Amino acid sequence: MTLNLCVLTPNRIVWDSEVKEIILSTNSGQIGILPNHAPIATAVDIGILRIRLNDQWLTMALMGGFARIGSNEITILVNDAEKGSDIDPQEAQQTLEIAEANLSKAEGKRKTIEANLALRRARTRVEAINMIS
Amino acid sequence: MVGLTNCIEIYVWFTDSLNLPTQIFVEIGSPKSNDHKCQALVGKPSIKSEQPWTHQKQNLLSPPTVKIVIPKPHPLPLFLSTHSSLGSRESHPNPTQHITIDIVEEDKTSQTPKERKKTPSSSQQHKPKPYTKTHSFAIAKTAMSCSNLTMLVSSKPSLSDASNLSFRSVLNPFQLPSQNSTPPTPSRSSVTPLQCGLRELRTRIESVKNTQKITEAMKLVAAAKVRRAQEAVVNGRPFSETLVEVLYNINEQLQTEDIDVPLTKARPVKKVALVVCTGDRGLCGGYNNFILKKAEARIAELKNLGLDYTVISVGKKGNSYFLRRPYIPVDKFLEGGTLPTAKEAQAIADDAFSLFVSEEVDKVELLYTKFVSLVKSEPVIHTLLPLSPKGEICDINGVCVDAAEDEFFRLTTKEGKLTVERDVVRTATPDFSPILQFEQDPVQILDALLPLYLNSQILRALQESLASELAARMSAMSNATDNASELKKNLSTLYNRQRQAKITGEILEIVAGANALV
Repeated sequence: MTLNLCVLTPNRIVWDSEVKEIILSTNSGQIGILPNHAPIATAVDIGILRIRLNDQWLTMALMGGFARIGSNEITILVNDAEKGSDIDPQEAQQTLEIAEANLSKAEGKRKTIEANLALRRARTRVEAINMIS
Repeated sequence: MVGLTNCIEIYVWFTDSLNLPTQIFVEIGSPKSNDHKCQALVGKPSIKSEQPWTHQKQNLLSPPTVKIVIPKPHPLPLFLSTHSSLGSRESHPNPTQHITIDIVEEDKTSQTPKERKKTPSSSQQHKPKPYTKTHSFAIAKTAMSCSNLTMLVSSKPSLSDASNLSFRSVLNPFQLPSQNSTPPTPSRSSVTPLQCGLRELRTRIESVKNTQKITEAMKLVAAAKVRRAQEAVVNGRPFSETLVEVLYNINEQLQTEDIDVPLTKARPVKKVALVVCTGDRGLCGGYNNFILKKAEARIAELKNLGLDYTVISVGKKGNSYFLRRPYIPVDKFLEGGTLPTAKEAQAIADDAFSLFVSEEVDKVELLYTKFVSLVKSEPVIHTLLPLSPKGEICDINGVCVDAAEDEFFRLTTKEGKLTVERDVVRTATPDFSPILQFEQDPVQILDALLPLYLNSQILRALQESLASELAARMSAMSNATDNASELKKNLSTLYNRQRQAKITGEILEIVAGANALV
């Protein structure tokens, strides 16, 4: 049985093809999915999605959403998704630094939450690059 | 034959340069009228003397010429009558010589300058009135729409036999314009050609050309953008469709489990929030008006149901519309970007979410323009919150405010397009595994899913609105370009005719002047 992965964002389809295996970071930790996985529904955290194509691993930064796995059909719905190879390392590093600075400066609950979210996004993007190399 | 004349020039030569009329009136009448009375008084024409009134230098051989230009064009057949009030110098009672001139189309080939020449010389011998030493013969030259129409008219009835020119003159002495009982010719109003000079025409043609360029460019820009917007809509569809499908299924499964999700909780409706999506710019036909009218209609409906309402306005056009109407309560003004992204949708979603969750409003409706095709789009109302697959909410009085009023659902029964979309949801249901396990708490999953759904619904609405706006602009600008090219064509024709007429007039002038010298 082949496993089909479909990553959708509101703007476009990021990924829609066959994969061997994925590792998905959910709200309750990372899970690996192989063909013939039991049908589950899970919330997807801000984190990295690792995709195995034959012997090659790809990474993708996901910005939170939802995943549905059923009958060898994985559908991941996220607000934003970026392939690790598409991210500019310098820009991502800069964003991470800015986010870190913002968090230390943030005052009040709402701002802290926002800064935290931004930092997590930035960190995920940087991690997505580092996973490749 | 009936054609358009742009302007008429009448040349009157006076054989006696001493006794000259002080005024010449030109009137237009119809030859078919029984009494040959003037039907329309053009008024005092602008009299331009080609030569000085009292021209001494050239004796009788070169009589003074009066050029009368009637600025208003008239349809053919023309019937001119000149009033020459003469003899004011000689304390005569002001006699009015009424010369009615029938202009008949003549054969151009038979009309040679030499034949024209004969007419003035022979006409000089006849005087219609004894006290008018001066008697005039006139060459009326009309700038016709057809250049082969050249007019040569004389005041002498007897001359008609002498020359091969076809004309007819009737003398109506002491006919005053005020005596006319017949109203002005109605035919003039039916044909109202543009009346302006060559220079004005040229500038108008130029400006129409420029306008056409602008509209053409706008059309092309809109066409390019509409393709991008269409792509965005098409690209976004799988996401939102899958989302709706997933949400529907999860909702179905969760109904058995007793959980409380704020976004799906249906409350008795007391207040409704309307999210109105308009465009940022005009020049797109009725696009903005349609959606605003829809909003007004919906507001009136809510008022009739005795419900409170508030508006979340998206887009500059809507903002200015609601700002001008302070009696409509507006919660927030938002501006749509050039291309809607998840960020803009998030801003709207946040607002709608907080309004709904804080129980300030009990229902959020989204008004946007559904993009059907490039030539068709329609304003629709779509219930955003509470998220409910059934869409059946009734207020305290038992009046259903949702299902029946909800355009999105109602149209499904009427039009095929929307039914298809609903069918997608239905047919996808068995596809979904019934033994679905939830990795996390169902509430947690719904928490992750519902904002996503809200977001995508709003984003889709924004995208469809933008695509509709651009499509509307494209067709509006396409129409404008077509109109401009038609206008340009008409104006150029007019311009060429006037130019031709002017040239003809000048040639005639020269020829007549040369003939008079002989």
